Amino acid sequence: MTHVRLEQVSLAFGQGTDRMPALERVSLSLRRNEVVVVLGPSGCGKTTLLRLVAGLLPPDEGRVSVDDRPPRPGADAAMVFQSFRLIPWKSARENVAFALPHLPRAEARARADAYLDLVGLSRFAKSWPAQLSGGMRQRLALARALAAEPGILLMDEPFASLDAQSRELMQIELMRLMERRPATVLFVTHSVDEALIMADRILLMSPRPGRVVEELEVPFPRPRWEGDIRALPLYAELRRHLWDRLRDMVLNDPGSDFHGRR
Amino acid sequence: MTGPRPQNGPGRRPAGAGTVTLMRLAFLLCLILLWALAAATVPRGMIPSPAATVEAARRLLSEGRLQGALGQSLITYGTGLGAAILVGIPLGALMGMVRLFGRTVDVFVFALAATPRVAFIPLIIVLLGLGIEAKAMIVFLGAVMPIILNTYAGVQARDEELIEMARSTGASATRIQIHVVLPGALPFLVVGLRLGATIGLINTVVAELYTAVSGLGGLLALYGNTFRMAEYFVIVLALAAIGVIVTESLRLLEGRLSRWRLPGRP
Ligand SMILES: Nc1ncnc2c1ncn2[C@@H]1O[C@H](COP(=O)(O)OP(=O)(O)O)[C@@H](O)[C@H]1O
Ligand SMILES: [Mg+2]
Repeated sequence: MTHVRLEQVSLAFGQGTDRMPALERVSLSLRRNEVVVVLGPSGCGKTTLLRLVAGLLPPDEGRVSVDDRPPRPGADAAMVFQSFRLIPWKSARENVAFALPHLPRAEARARADAYLDLVGLSRFAKSWPAQLSGGMRQRLALARALAAEPGILLMDEPFASLDAQSRELMQIELMRLMERRPATVLFVTHSVDEALIMADRILLMSPRPGRVVEELEVPFPRPRWEGDIRALPLYAELRRHLWDRLRDMVLNDPGSDFHGRR
Repeated sequence: MTGPRPQNGPGRRPAGAGTVTLMRLAFLLCLILLWALAAATVPRGMIPSPAATVEAARRLLSEGRLQGALGQSLITYGTGLGAAILVGIPLGALMGMVRLFGRTVDVFVFALAATPRVAFIPLIIVLLGLGIEAKAMIVFLGAVMPIILNTYAGVQARDEELIEMARSTGASATRIQIHVVLPGALPFLVVGLRLGATIGLINTVVAELYTAVSGLGGLLALYGNTFRMAEYFVIVLALAAIGVIVTESLRLLEGRLSRWRLPGRP
């Protein structure tokens, strides 16, 4: 049942006296096709956590496993990066096809077209990223990750740069897509609302060094785009709780700009 | 061709290509008028008139001397520049891709690039004689440095975030080099080619003056030393034409290769 597991994972960046722990004894496990949202202030190691699961980075200590084996980049997970990371000299279609190195050319192209269609970018298959709006670039990055048909989808604040409206539409869009083709999702955000809308489970992380300090089941029924869960009393209660915890962490973090304020 | 590519905002349109061409023709006309004026005022014979120059060009062409010299020069130039491209791009790319190799040899390449290459001409003559091999070598040495160094810089300027993205898709090291690192180095590479082409042309003339006198450089010396200024001007203009054609072709190529930078919807 467990798909992804981190056991007592620690990781530090830098050398010698500059060495700074980014994650300290983090343990977590993701069930297959579960949507887990990692919520935490900036710099608490959320991106690092995703890179570990993607197999892009080995842990200093502890163990990361996908189906009880170390993760292999490209084979287990696909990642949507914070800044999209589109290849500027490749068209939308080529950008998606690039993420499919294991497929023959023609097949990769056909698959790319299918996923461009899925995110509503068919008409822009031949456009370069520079010709697309922010929201379209975001959908292209999403199409690229989905096209690999990954068992695990790693999303690093994917909607952070979108305006409030596009952001909400993309959240719904992603939930619809996950309904059609489920995957285990590890979704990073620092927005409490986004966490509550997307998550089956929320992991709250503390800053420097990052640790999982609280785990919260989100019991709202799915699909969540029908009706407004934000109107539920429980939503307000959970939101308030998470918000208080986040605020306390930021105020008590000596490294934060807001340290000691009230 | 336009200068540095303008970044056209959505509301701004570039001056029409037709207008620019017209303005350039007008400017060329002004230059020719100035030339004619200078020819008329400077003591006789020092500066040939445009008409005298055209007449000299016709004479040189009908005798076949211009074509012959042009052919010799182009062979020297093409051989040297071609070899510089074939050696410089792979070497610069390798220096950028294999970090230890790059760090080991780059100081030596910088040192060699900073040494005036004319200093090597006597050595080259001793080793290779006065023929085409020596001439092409002089061109090669001048052109290869900017090509190596710019390719190297371009590969070093690789976008680590894009590379991490590529790694996350399971792309092999080769696939990452071909699709991410090398295309990213192209703008640098084209700058290197343009510099190499310019220095190569200069060195073509230098080689023709310092080794067995031949080609356009040879004619330049001949007519310059004998004060046949109309013929001399023809050679200068021919050299200018080669330079313009080569660098403009490279600029066209650069424009084609970087269309993805241009904003504006399809
Ligand atoms: N490649 C790196 N080299 C050095 N320090 C890093 C690197 N990546 C992240 N860090 C540091 O590790 C901490 C966690 O970073 P990150 O995982 O990006 O946090 P988040 O995504 O939660 O904002 C930060 O203090 C950051 O400065
Ligand atoms: Mg981050």
